[in-house]
Amino acid sequence: MKKISAFLAASAVYFAASSAFATGLATCDSGPKSTWQPVEKLEAKLKEKGYTVRRIKEDGGCYEVYAFDEKGQRGEFYFHPVTLEAVPTKSR
Amino acid sequence: MQNNLPATQLVWNLGIRILHWTLAVSMIAAFATHESGSVWHEYIGYVALAAASIRIVLGFTANGYWRFSQFFRGISTTVQYAKDVVHKREKRYLGHNPLGGWMVVLLLADTMAAGLTGWLFTTDAFWGMEWLEELHEFFGTLIMPLLILHLAGVIFTSIRHRENLAAAMVHGRKKL
Repeated sequence: MKKISAFLAASAVYFAASSAFATGLATCDSGPKSTWQPVEKLEAKLKEKGYTVRRIKEDGGCYEVYAFDEKGQRGEFYFHPVTLEAVPTKSR
Repeated sequence: MQNNLPATQLVWNLGIRILHWTLAVSMIAAFATHESGSVWHEYIGYVALAAASIRIVLGFTANGYWRFSQFFRGISTTVQYAKDVVHKREKRYLGHNPLGGWMVVLLLADTMAAGLTGWLFTTDAFWGMEWLEELHEFFGTLIMPLLILHLAGVIFTSIRHRENLAAAMVHGRKKL
């Protein structure tokens, strides 16, 4: 019984530790968050370009965007949160 | 010809062994590549998904030790077996014992769940969905504790019955 409890406890710690997840296709040296532009601005800019945005999250100090580009092509795009410039990603 | 080796029987045929090690290698490789978001993670996932699917189909259609009904037992039989283990009086099974049977089913189910959620995430319909990504991460993360339980079971049973079960999954033969 002790061994089972220890195993369950270790599993719980392991699950908690593994929740911090980054795909890590790019990193941005983006400084404090107070200097970042709002997500909404990036979303508006992308919509203007003809993108369909599914989701924007933070990854490696960048904004990571799950979207379809103007040609309807599915993609994971990275943008610098201060400049909102596209960040080149490592090839998958 | 005289030989003094103990009588053995082929328990794990070549197909079971190939699928077993394909699943083992692909799931560990998928786990190792999960952070990179690489195409490799995707391809490895498809290998695991294919292997698990084939195993499940054969579990219902093939005969002998392939068959789920050969080794899958209900809760009460499994609990009784676990009690017997605690009291060191469990019987030896040539195929999977009842606890091992549950392990097989859990490992296959988790592989299918991780594989299907991972694949769905790459489809246009589910692209970028946060709940799906989290579900995939949960199933992917779960494979490690399951693998540890599996190895613990193999080592424990090997010691208890003085046979090398890992080696049996390589050459396929077990003592009668």
